[in-house]
Amino acid sequence: MTQAQISREDIAAVLPTVSATIADALGCDVEEVTPDASLIDDLDAESIDFLDMVFRLERAFKVKIPRGKIVENARGTLTEAEFEQNGIVTDVGLKQLKDYLSEVPADRFKTPTKVKDIPRLFTTTTFAKLVIAAQRETKA
Amino acid sequence: MADHFAAFSFVDRITEYEPGRRARGRYFIPADIAAFPSCLVAEAVGQLAAWVSMAHIGFRGRPVAALANETRFCSDARPGDTLDLAVDIESCDEHAVAYAGQALVNGNEVVELVDCLGPMLPVEEFDSPVEMEKRFELIRGEGAQRGRFKGVDAPGVVRTGGEPGVSASATLSVPESAPFFRDHFPRRPVFPATLLLDSQIRFALDLANEAGFWPAGTRPAPARMTHVKMRSFIPPGAVLLLGAEIGPLQDSVATIKLSARMDDKTAATARLEVVARKV
Repeated sequence: MTQAQISREDIAAVLPTVSATIADALGCDVEEVTPDASLIDDLDAESIDFLDMVFRLERAFKVKIPRGKIVENARGTLTEAEFEQNGIVTDVGLKQLKDYLSEVPADRFKTPTKVKDIPRLFTTTTFAKLVIAAQRETKA
Repeated sequence: MADHFAAFSFVDRITEYEPGRRARGRYFIPADIAAFPSCLVAEAVGQLAAWVSMAHIGFRGRPVAALANETRFCSDARPGDTLDLAVDIESCDEHAVAYAGQALVNGNEVVELVDCLGPMLPVEEFDSPVEMEKRFELIRGEGAQRGRFKGVDAPGVVRTGGEPGVSASATLSVPESAPFFRDHFPRRPVFPATLLLDSQIRFALDLANEAGFWPAGTRPAPARMTHVKMRSFIPPGAVLLLGAEIGPLQDSVATIKLSARMDDKTAATARLEVVARKV
């Protein structure tokens, strides 16, 4: 999920439905679901909400989004040991994470970054990119 | 343990089975109980889906109630009825099971579940995997002994405030002990989500009855429950704060937003659509 692979136009095409779907799952107004809203810190999403959002997005876009693999995917080609040590994202891991989550404002990445806090970085646009990746997977 | 697979188990026999994909089954509602609420019919459908999904992953995980996007209440099931259950598994893996299903009595639909999702947790946290597998073989074969369910007592719900016909709050006291806790689940007693929903529906109907917009000669009845989301396990003895807010009557349907809070956190949310039925 890099900017080179997914264009702003690609994201803009799915963002309205993604935002509406997230708002429905969280029971909030769609206006609150801005493109760079942190789903946890700004919209109070919990783990069950992530499951709900993925479930609803699968139906809305008729795609399959692998559950429980978002953080794993963020690792890219790095091994687990290269990506994290004792629950802390390594320097090379952080660079990979920033590339993967290129839509997330830079000041939201903490140093050190704990692996368990990675979902805090996820935004509405992160889920739009997940949908686009799933759409491409479906077409492939 | 006398209550295991009896006090809260609602699949007597699996009659058709396509591993990991679909199943049909039966539950004989004992004739000697006072009532069998629609939420328990929904529980029976969910339990059939649970059996199929647990078998699919070798009884390493079991689904727990989490999301039910839509539950349609079509008619009532009564003591003595036979529930014909059917489930279609949309997807099932170590993480979650997604399914839909229905229950019929004499060919008439009682309850339909659409877009349900249960995350998988380790079976051994809740029950003996060996016992679960044995039970599955029993209900896949000759079937379980019928009539072991003795009914459940509705937990106490005490209204605490609100504005009549608009909103209401109440406390629900989960019992410290009850036979169903020994079946749901033997190693980790959890107040069943469907019993919470049953209490919330009755609480919501009380509120709906107070609203002045129902036509004469009718009473409000549940038609559909949507956006059911269980956020926490509810242990024995918990005290839940229930909330309900009813919206205006639109196209003959009033939507009631339901919430249940426990320890200052939201434990469950749902929306109930209520329609007028002739008295």
